[in-house]
Amino acid sequence: MAPLYRLERLRHHYDGHTVLAIDDWTLAAGSITGLVGANGCGKSTLLKLLGFVERPAEGEILFNGRRTVLRDEAPRRTVVLLPQENHLLKRTVFANVAYGLRVRKDRHQERARVAQALEWVGLPADTFARRPWFALSGGEARRVALAARLVLRPQVLLLDEPTTSVDGASAQRMKAAALHAHRQWGTSLIIASHDLSWLQEICDDVIHLFAGRILGTGLQTLLYGPWQALGADRVAMALGDGQQFVALRQADPAPAAVAAIDPRRLTLLAADQAPSAAQAVMEGILTSLILDQRAGGIHASARVGHTEFRVQLPADHPALAGLVPGRPARIAYAPDDVRWYA
Amino acid sequence: MDYLFHGLLEAFRLLLGGDPETYSAVAATLKVSSYAMAASLLMGIPLGFVLGHLRFPGRRQARLVVDTLLSLPTVFIGLLVYAFVSRQGPLGHMGLLFTLPGIAIGQTLLALPVVIALTATAVESMDANLRVTLLSLGANRRQLMRDTLWEARHGILAAGLNAYGRVMTEVGISMMVGGNIKWHTRTITTAIALETNKGQFALGIALGLILLLIAFGVTAAMSLLRRK
Repeated sequence: MAPLYRLERLRHHYDGHTVLAIDDWTLAAGSITGLVGANGCGKSTLLKLLGFVERPAEGEILFNGRRTVLRDEAPRRTVVLLPQENHLLKRTVFANVAYGLRVRKDRHQERARVAQALEWVGLPADTFARRPWFALSGGEARRVALAARLVLRPQVLLLDEPTTSVDGASAQRMKAAALHAHRQWGTSLIIASHDLSWLQEICDDVIHLFAGRILGTGLQTLLYGPWQALGADRVAMALGDGQQFVALRQADPAPAAVAAIDPRRLTLLAADQAPSAAQAVMEGILTSLILDQRAGGIHASARVGHTEFRVQLPADHPALAGLVPGRPARIAYAPDDVRWYA
Repeated sequence: MDYLFHGLLEAFRLLLGGDPETYSAVAATLKVSSYAMAASLLMGIPLGFVLGHLRFPGRRQARLVVDTLLSLPTVFIGLLVYAFVSRQGPLGHMGLLFTLPGIAIGQTLLALPVVIALTATAVESMDANLRVTLLSLGANRRQLMRDTLWEARHGILAAGLNAYGRVMTEVGISMMVGGNIKWHTRTITTAIALETNKGQFALGIALGLILLLIAFGVTAAMSLLRRK
């Protein structure tokens, strides 16, 4: 079966500045994929390209194994994007949600379907359907925008920072509604978000974008430097609280190099446990513990200085006994497990 | 200053008394301005969308030309249209000189830059995210244009009102192309010019008030539309 997306030698520029450079990347249908990276790393641009709202400057996007051509309408009817900047049409809530159905000339049971979509995002149709666009709070407007996408029951739903700048209750509703789409209709979700614990919880895979490039997948911790030499064969990055992260020096060190460490290569030490000779240790604060329902393990996050390290442990790991978020935790790793991206 | 008061009384007398000459001028004004507005909106709104929405080479220069044409003097348009539709002109065979359609052509030229420039401004000032929103919900190119215009409807309404104001109140084109022929091409503004020349100030003021009344009616109808 052809993958949902295949990107080949993709390049995109704004004002002559390359914002996206992806040589080869595929995505399977029916999955939930997280997209993480700093602001300006190309997440929104990638989502606009995947949503066929913009065309790449160079390269190809194959959708369900087929090449897409300029202004190809067919994929845009099955792929739906919730852009980062919320924009509602100057109409009622009902007309906003029904818009996508109307451009598809699909008026069958329109009223009931719109009401149902509003229900999914926690906005009762009786109260909200007739409201004009300006009589909504920020969180409500964002939920209306999501309902306008869900009503289309898309094959692919691209969410660009869906829960940024909305209140906690709205965020919970939106997360539940997106998952509902995935479970009910097998919608593939691609979610750009800074909410790592949410992504950790629901995603099959997480992709790291850095300066327009895909820096591997999985919930690895990325360290952006600056790197200082530490002896002949090691480099170190200051973590902001007097501690440092140590890595083996790469063969040809580049100034903009990014180091990554896989969560399975980090471990937590039990209270009385000493690290092995090959391990370096950092002391931080445990910030979260999440059960990975699919794999059965535990995702732990611990902050050292400004950096959040993600650690994957088996559920019966001895260090987990008595460990609660907010308490100190010791993270151990082997400096030669660090991978480098040039 | 008595003629101001007399003018007011005269306006009521002409309107309520059903003065045929006045009503003929009102009818000519309404007819010719409706033709001109229909033509300029039909052409001007799509052109304004193209100018405001699309990025093409020469767009800034085109914008500059349209903005300059906002200051077109009506007598100059009158002169141009006269030159084209008079017996020796290239369109002379169509017999448009001293007719209402002839005036309407001139008024369309007057209104067109206003509709294009203000529609372009209204479309340009739309939220940049509107395009992404419409496309992300599956709109095709035709739907994108239609719904961008609909979102910009308040600005476009203002463009139409502005153009209507210019068309209703111009004298130069009506006078030069229409010739101010009684019962035929005499509009309210050319009638005012004539009455003033004859020293009939009160009648001139009465006609001016009737013009304002029509403008009020149009504006009120538009403001009702704006609520929607």
